[in-house]
Amino acid sequence: MESSILTLLIFVPVAGAVLMLFFAMLYGKENAHYYKWIAAITTGIQLVLAGILYLNFDPALSITESPFTVQLNWITHFNIQYFLGVDGLSIPMVLLTALLSFICIISSWKIEKQALGYFSLFLLLDAGMMGVFLSMDFFLFYIFWEVMLLPMYFLIGIWGGPQRMYAAIKFFLYTLFGSVFMLLALLALYYYSDPHTFSLITLIQTVGSIDATLWGLSVKYLIWMALFIGFAIKVPIVPFHTWLPLAHVEAPTAVSVILAGVLLKMGTYGFLRISYPLLPGEMVNFAYILAVLGVINIIWGATNAIAQIDLKKMVAYSSVSHMGYVLLGIAAAISDSPAGAQAGMNGALMQMFNHGTITAMLFLLVGMLYDRTHHRWIVFPNDYEKPELAGQQGFGGLGAKVPVYTGFVAFAFFAGLGLPALSGFISEAMCFIGGFSVFRTLTIIATLGILLNAIYFLRAYQRIFLGPLNETYKDLPDITHRELFTIIPLAALILFFGVYPAPLLDMISPAMDGIIKIVQSVI
Amino acid sequence: MDSLQSYLIIAAILFSMGIYGVITRKNAVAILMGIELILNSANINFIAFNRFGGMENLDGHVFSIFVIVLAAAEAAVALAIVINLFKNIGSVDVDDADLLQG
Amino acid sequence: MSNLSSLSFYIPELIIIIAILLVIVLDVIPVCKKYTFPLSLGAILLASVFLWQSYGESHGLFMGMISIDPFSHFFKMIFLLSTFSIILISRYEKQLDSNYSAEYNALLLIVLLGMFLMSSSINLIMIYLSIELVSIPSYILAGMLKNDKESNEASLKYVIFGSFASGLMLFGLSILYGITGSTDIGVVTAALQAIEYPLSIYFPLILILVGFGYKISMVPFHFWTPDVYEGAPTPITAFLSVAPKAAGFAILIRVFYTMFTLEGSVSATLPLTNINWPTLIAVASAVTMTLGNLLAVQQEDVKRLLAYSTISHVGFMLMAFAIISPDAVRAIMLYLFIYLFMNLSAFYMAIFASNKLNAHHINDWDGLSRKNPVLCAFMALTLISLTGLPPTAGFVGKFYIFAELFKHQQFYWLAVVAILNSVVSLYYYFKIIKSMYLVDVEGEVNKIEAHPVVNWSIILFSAQNILFFIYWEPLIGFIEKSINLWSG
Repeated sequence: MESSILTLLIFVPVAGAVLMLFFAMLYGKENAHYYKWIAAITTGIQLVLAGILYLNFDPALSITESPFTVQLNWITHFNIQYFLGVDGLSIPMVLLTALLSFICIISSWKIEKQALGYFSLFLLLDAGMMGVFLSMDFFLFYIFWEVMLLPMYFLIGIWGGPQRMYAAIKFFLYTLFGSVFMLLALLALYYYSDPHTFSLITLIQTVGSIDATLWGLSVKYLIWMALFIGFAIKVPIVPFHTWLPLAHVEAPTAVSVILAGVLLKMGTYGFLRISYPLLPGEMVNFAYILAVLGVINIIWGATNAIAQIDLKKMVAYSSVSHMGYVLLGIAAAISDSPAGAQAGMNGALMQMFNHGTITAMLFLLVGMLYDRTHHRWIVFPNDYEKPELAGQQGFGGLGAKVPVYTGFVAFAFFAGLGLPALSGFISEAMCFIGGFSVFRTLTIIATLGILLNAIYFLRAYQRIFLGPLNETYKDLPDITHRELFTIIPLAALILFFGVYPAPLLDMISPAMDGIIKIVQSVI
Repeated sequence: MDSLQSYLIIAAILFSMGIYGVITRKNAVAILMGIELILNSANINFIAFNRFGGMENLDGHVFSIFVIVLAAAEAAVALAIVINLFKNIGSVDVDDADLLQG
Repeated sequence: MSNLSSLSFYIPELIIIIAILLVIVLDVIPVCKKYTFPLSLGAILLASVFLWQSYGESHGLFMGMISIDPFSHFFKMIFLLSTFSIILISRYEKQLDSNYSAEYNALLLIVLLGMFLMSSSINLIMIYLSIELVSIPSYILAGMLKNDKESNEASLKYVIFGSFASGLMLFGLSILYGITGSTDIGVVTAALQAIEYPLSIYFPLILILVGFGYKISMVPFHFWTPDVYEGAPTPITAFLSVAPKAAGFAILIRVFYTMFTLEGSVSATLPLTNINWPTLIAVASAVTMTLGNLLAVQQEDVKRLLAYSTISHVGFMLMAFAIISPDAVRAIMLYLFIYLFMNLSAFYMAIFASNKLNAHHINDWDGLSRKNPVLCAFMALTLISLTGLPPTAGFVGKFYIFAELFKHQQFYWLAVVAILNSVVSLYYYFKIIKSMYLVDVEGEVNKIEAHPVVNWSIILFSAQNILFFIYWEPLIGFIEKSINLWSG
């Protein structure tokens, strides 16, 4: 049982998708109801499996010792292995993926357009994400990384907003551009290391001895840069971020949740899983640049968010800003004070998890508003299709009309701007503590981001929910039970980890200590 | 004049004339004539090499006989295609065959 | 081996020759005309059986004119499979006039025979003859639609480019004969190593490369490709895009690995010291894939788009050809094998679309996924595979090619060019996917069913993309056994 649980986590959704195809063959494609239920049950099973994994997980064990690890030969000819494992770095991401997938299926309950396609692609996407976080073989990792793009392309392209086709291909081209460089890095790592292997565990030992040069640069540096491009586009690090606002805005709600909640984390996860342990020397040299990029992300994302009048776009840019904290945190691994390095790294991973829950909640709430009102303009743009509305406020005074909804939005906004006692605060603070121990000035600049975050969240809140009620929305219905069901678990997690982060911290810190040790050993 | 060199020069001249014809002519039949020149220049090479190159076998002769046969077959097919084109578009000028482009 | 004793190793070819003659004879007897189609298919099946039985044998036949070896067997299987499939599918193509079906099948069988010879020629005379034997019937096939102006034009362009290229090659062969004194490629190798002036080798080398390059449509000898592919009847386009191209690669590998390497065998690791043809090939490869891709991006006609994309695939295969090693040959063969299936299924889908909807322009494919969801799903799989994304066999093919560059630590710049190209190719292949899936169509749509033969051809040829991704080890093992050239 223990060794098959990781395989099941990946392939239960695939089985669900296959089952849907059988249903479609037997009962015709029209019956959307079956597909919803199959999707909900499969992701539910996956969530339960993730729960079992969490309960039996021992953070002290490394991948090689863990009972969950699966290592089988796939293609002996290239020494490619089916190698899955879980450690403190991947488990929060696995839990997040399972939780968000389930929630997203529930939140997509009203999808009627081509339900078979939507739910089966969603399950494949789920499987791909799970695979990325569980693979310990670089080849397998790469496969899952790419596999995930395909359903994403279709999900944005078919079920998205008005500019969906452009958004879908732009997303795809950007991320593929990044991942092809990763393919080169993958091959270089394989052929330069001795023995030739894709195993991320073995590579940690063998990569160090590479001392070849190419085009006057060291091969290790080139590999680092190739990986950096691949991961940076995913994070996204400014200036590679331009695909993000478009994709987030055009995607349907559930897909935005997955994009912001899980996909962005893959970039930083890649840094921690691959770049850091394999190429610590290059990482140390690059750390300062990484921190600078992180700060740019924080400020650039936040200032852009301030400028947005589309609520969803504002939330999308807030993600760019929040991922900046993660970058700052992981750059702090080079800190000469052990506490600083620990705070930075643990804070970064916690921020990845917490941002996943917070941003998921934000996108879900925006989606609910959009479902009811069919627009999400905080302020109508000047060239709006109805000229009489141009420049007017989009909403106003909804607070009195839909109090429960407003309460949750207030909760999510406060979590997003980092209010103490909510989870975002703790992880952001830890990132700053870590960052401050190495990059003083930069971190001080970065704290500006908190202020900027507060500006756009509070202003949006005020414009939408306070003031006199906009008469157009006098019949606006409040949140439904199904919607509550999607929001409450996230809110509970945000509150719980805001007050008591120890369970999360205990789970991840041994793994992060391991990475810090590798990095510190080359300074 | 009875040396390898003079034959090779003649072949080279024929070859160049053939290429020139193929590149500059617009008339499909004239282009085909250019191609024939190229094939025949190669034939001269083969025979000359075989005669003056001190070869023990007759490979060059055999080769050129095959080339002559193939040139005839190729010309037959090519001319049939040109005639068919003439029936359909009323011209043998390659510039008039311009439906497919981009 | 003497002529008479060679015949017993020559049974598959003999079967094809007999079938060609029978088809031509039966065509003139009105009652028998309808048997030509099953006869052609049956002959191919029979030839495959005999070919399979003799797999692994290695002989030089007809006094050193041709050789049979596992390498040629591998390619012959590819030819048999693609010709069989094309003959089968052509029956269900509306464009083709069924009155000429016997001639059509006979011509395809002649091309098949030519390709058989191409893959096993070891003599300059046979090389030239076999290339012509493939080319001349191809010119006729491209112009098979006698009253269609586009088809006429395609065949005219094909015949002019084709005979010009083979003329240049012939001139190169004559020079090569002159400087080495033999037409046997094994003897030529030995003679070439003694030659002091590199220029005298470069000149015939480049001229020969023109001939082969035109067959595989390598830039700059690719001009005929898009026009011929667009104008020719679609089954012929599908055929030309795989089988003669595979034959071109077979002869390219055999000739270059035998004539222009030090050892004169596939296990050689060095080019002739006095000429550096791998760099020449690497540059040609980069130019080929880049130009093919950049032109494909601008295309709006599906057939033309696929035509340009085949050029870029050739560039990919040439990338491995720039590395001299048995593993590189293996990578090319693997890629060719996968490429055969995915390209055929893509073109069959184009046949389906043009038969049922008269669709040529990409916009005509709008909303096709709602008219035939199953075929469109497989077409999407094929296009993903052509792009080279996992989880498809196309990715495996590309992976092996890239791996060769890294393994031999050569031409890294080419790898960077190639990956950027695969990003570009995503854009145009996904234009078709976008049309099929993303574009909304108004109103009711009627389901369109393909003929079962077309339907299952597309599905089978496309499904291998998943199969060979999940487990490709047996395939690579088979190819490994097949890299075995007969040498003297």
